[in-house]
Amino acid sequence: MRKSPVHDIQQASGATFDDRVGVTRATRFGDPQEEYRAVRDAVGLTDFSFTVRYRVPEDGLDVLEQYAAGSVANIRFGRVLHTLAADEQGHVETDLYIANDDEQLLVIGESLISDEQNAKILAGMGAEQAGLEDISSSTALFGLDGLNAWMVVKDLFGPDVLGLPYLSIETYELDGTEIRLLRTGKTSEFGYLLLVPAEIAASAWNRLLQVGQPHGLKVIGTDTHDVLRLDGRFFNIYGEGAKVQDPLALGLQWMIDFDGEPFRGQEAIRERRAAGPRQKIIGVQPQEGVLEPGMEIFHQERMIAQVVTAQYSPTLGEWIGLALFDWEFAYSGLEFCDQSKRSIRTVSMPPFMPKSLEVKLDEM
Amino acid sequence: MDSELKSRIDERVQVLSTIKEDLITRLNLPYNPDDLHEDVSLLGSGLGLDSLDALEVILGIEHAFGVKVADDNIAILRSINSIADFVLEARADGVPEEAAR
Repeated sequence: MRKSPVHDIQQASGATFDDRVGVTRATRFGDPQEEYRAVRDAVGLTDFSFTVRYRVPEDGLDVLEQYAAGSVANIRFGRVLHTLAADEQGHVETDLYIANDDEQLLVIGESLISDEQNAKILAGMGAEQAGLEDISSSTALFGLDGLNAWMVVKDLFGPDVLGLPYLSIETYELDGTEIRLLRTGKTSEFGYLLLVPAEIAASAWNRLLQVGQPHGLKVIGTDTHDVLRLDGRFFNIYGEGAKVQDPLALGLQWMIDFDGEPFRGQEAIRERRAAGPRQKIIGVQPQEGVLEPGMEIFHQERMIAQVVTAQYSPTLGEWIGLALFDWEFAYSGLEFCDQSKRSIRTVSMPPFMPKSLEVKLDEM
Repeated sequence: MDSELKSRIDERVQVLSTIKEDLITRLNLPYNPDDLHEDVSLLGSGLGLDSLDALEVILGIEHAFGVKVADDNIAILRSINSIADFVLEARADGVPEEAAR
């Protein structure tokens, strides 16, 4: 089982953990609603060291083109591509960030398969010959997400950091050690990832806690990200991704270069795209009460959808979910019902305006 | 499908189609309309529009539907669906039919 370099620190602070595809994740540190509010109102620190990570020399571009569905060759220097890797059936397998970092590419993946399975797939694409290096254990990855996340990175790295555009990467020094800072995030608030060598992971973690404290920083677990991603309407591979699998029904076409270099699963995705869509996920809310995965949704006597993921949103003060609808009914602003005739509304997502979108970093 | 539901869906489909076609044309996106999920984020992630793109999109909405988008109303650019909600609400509030087309 692969564990984070700061696992022991987190365990000592009372974190709870789960094990997923051979990797341990810190799922919760305290009250879930306080963790959630930290991100929407202040800043949350998350350990994303459970992700699979690779360093790829420039010569390894061919390998990544076979692996990722997006246009890896077109990632400009200093920028990050958000894309996916699929299996042979064209089902989502890994949610990827690929960064063009000077003379190398850095890959960060949230995966439904184990490190060993990913390694085997990449080996079949020529990873060893290309010099691809698995850095999942030799690095740690920490996330700062929230309305005040920019304040923490400004205090750490200076005001120039505010000029980083979304989906970009830059090198900084943290207490004398070179680290990579990615401006990314999947919460709809400001988001940064810090990729640090494992040797300094503990000191970097403690430094983030110290610098973030005046800005309201709380440590948050992956359970809270499930809620943040849902009501921020960011793709969650561990939620709707694992259940629906088809990137077209998930609305992930923007992650895919349909006409680019051949990638694993491309043919299956193209065939489904050519045949035309049959289902898609959209947002749903119950008129009252709880929403649960597996719940069926009806129009008259016909079952037209099934809830795939649902959470209570503290921002909305209501339950919200995503349901997989038959294509002809998959529109927001409509009213259907569940098995007990309770009203279920389809809703536009994301359902609210994140506070971060109203902050202009270039005026700070 | 009952006629009331069909009518509501048809109206929304018409608005969504116009928005998608305008987005694809103005921003030269390599997608067909079915590829654009209505909830895809327009700002930041998803389609990743910058501020100039956002201005283009707002001009497109105003031109296509005869509505006025307030300068500070970036909330409607959350997604294609949020733009459609804005247009349909404007229609319900009495934007002339000919201006809304």
